[in-house]
Amino acid sequence: MVLVPHLIALGLYALATALALAPFAGLRPAPRALTLGVPLLGLAAHVVGEGLFRASAVGVFTGPLATGLVGLALLIGLAPEAPPPSARGAWSILHITVSVFGLAMLALAFIAAALYLLQFRELKAKRFGPVFRLFPPLERLDQLNHLSLVLGFPTVTLGVLLGFGVQYAGGASVDAAQVVWGMLTWVVLGWAVGVRVVRHWAGRRAAFASIASFTAVLLVYVALKLAAPGTQRFL
Amino acid sequence: MSITVLGVNHRTAPLEVRERFAHERREVPGSLERVLAAGARGGVLLSTCNRTEFYIAEPDEAVPDAVWAILSERLGGDRSASEYGYVQRDRDAVRHLYRVSAGLDAMILGESQIQGQVRDAWETSKAQAGPVLHRLFQSALLVGARVRSETGLATGAASAPSAAVTVAARIFTQLAGRSALILGAGDMAELAATCLVSEGVRVTLVANRTYERARAIAEQLGARALTLDEAWEHFADADIVLSSTAAPHAVVTWDHVAPAVARRGGRPLCILDLGLPRDVEPAVAQLENVFLYNIDDLQAVAAQAAAERRRDIPAAERIVSEEVERFWAWYGGLVVVPVLKEFRERLDRVRAAELERTLRHLAHLSPEDRGAIEYLSHTLLNKFLHQPTIALKEAAQAGRGYGLLEALKRLFGLERRDDP
Repeated sequence: MVLVPHLIALGLYALATALALAPFAGLRPAPRALTLGVPLLGLAAHVVGEGLFRASAVGVFTGPLATGLVGLALLIGLAPEAPPPSARGAWSILHITVSVFGLAMLALAFIAAALYLLQFRELKAKRFGPVFRLFPPLERLDQLNHLSLVLGFPTVTLGVLLGFGVQYAGGASVDAAQVVWGMLTWVVLGWAVGVRVVRHWAGRRAAFASIASFTAVLLVYVALKLAAPGTQRFL
Repeated sequence: MSITVLGVNHRTAPLEVRERFAHERREVPGSLERVLAAGARGGVLLSTCNRTEFYIAEPDEAVPDAVWAILSERLGGDRSASEYGYVQRDRDAVRHLYRVSAGLDAMILGESQIQGQVRDAWETSKAQAGPVLHRLFQSALLVGARVRSETGLATGAASAPSAAVTVAARIFTQLAGRSALILGAGDMAELAATCLVSEGVRVTLVANRTYERARAIAEQLGARALTLDEAWEHFADADIVLSSTAAPHAVVTWDHVAPAVARRGGRPLCILDLGLPRDVEPAVAQLENVFLYNIDDLQAVAAQAAAERRRDIPAAERIVSEEVERFWAWYGGLVVVPVLKEFRERLDRVRAAELERTLRHLAHLSPEDRGAIEYLSHTLLNKFLHQPTIALKEAAQAGRGYGLLEALKRLFGLERRDDP
């Protein structure tokens, strides 16, 4: 059952690709950029996570999220623009691919953290309903959040470095606001990972940190989009 | 031929009576031999803490008295075991065993321990069981497995101790290897500890108000004994705390455990308070990453599972009914075969005698003509027997063979009782 939304998301992504809307085609970024990473990572969470973490309930959230994002991309991107020259180089493709996977892993960490807080609340309140019965154990959600953060942050960092590569290779020009806000977001993400790895935060505090950092990513993205609509940017 | 079950269970006899009837494994053959000596073709004794039941194949009239005598001796005094007992025969006896094996007759609906107990009973009684009861018990195990796999009768935790495992499993990724601290020496804590140990949890510490009692339980569980005052600091490293002291007030207080919990570094701690009155101060639940459940909470989890199990009773009963009919068809066929064989042999003897007598008067006939007459006698016998044979086999397959068999025996004087 959990696989169904992922398969729908991948189907929609294939449709988006056919319509030249996929992120590689036009560098018209998220949410379409995320649509590749999230369903793929959702599948990975289901297949690998089921084996490693027995956390298939995570797929219940990643699946609809992925489907929703692809649907949204199709709705807002039905009139594709010509791909800019910056999207054509190997640097760009690497930059986008790595960044997409990094952000998708951070999204997965966000979802695991949200599920953790829900399950935590139910266990504390002694409510033995569907959340209690269907969600993975609390500790497993914490582990999933930890692993996703630890893998996601270096991947995003590599994506950022590759972004600099794109710029120096004569690709897209990036304005100062984008760099400043992007770095600020990176610092927030780094803080969330740092408190887990260095200060050994776990449980609820770590979940809040993870949610806060991903929310920062989303807020910065929306703010930049509102400030300069139509700008070519990944973040 | 018949199958009968005689016994007592948790519904017909109180615990103190059931305890007396319970047989140890070594006592089973002796009791069964006495029953077989009273006139039965086979016997199996199922003895658990909730039931003691004798399953008997083809019992003579004296067998029930023999069974009640065996049980009454254990009861002592002049009380008769039959006051607490029940008797089921034939299809009802088969249905009874299938329901027992499926957990439908258990104190905790759907509990799976009985499946192993039925297997043990069968294996312990193998020498006395006989072919019919072998087949019956073999099929009972299959029915139990089928009910558990095709219905939700065995899902969830339907008792407070098993609910403790369910709750802990919602907190920890895996229970195997977790450490548990037991406070007190209550029966419920011991039961819950057994459930946790069966999931791989290690009981590392047992604490009690009196050190000697703690040491006795600790030795059983391979743990270390402590006094209660020594236990508080171990809240820093135990994963699960099981509490069931006899204290009249809460012994686990915020002041006792908060400093140790603060050192846990965000690791969850599951506290299962099985004491009545409660052993753990409710305020302890306010500590970060502490999950506290008392007996009412665990019973709520168990009640939820039990309610879900009850929804599957009709499906389980349907499976039992199907399997009873299947067994009865096999058993009916088993009964018909020797009677039909005897019926045919009887008529064939008559045919052979009459043929011989007739041929003695027809000595002038050629060998070919004599052969033709003999062939005619065979053909006529086969034709006469064809329809009754088919009708009997069909009735047996449908589980309705007994009436016809009895009529056949009476009409043709077939009184011999063959082994199945």
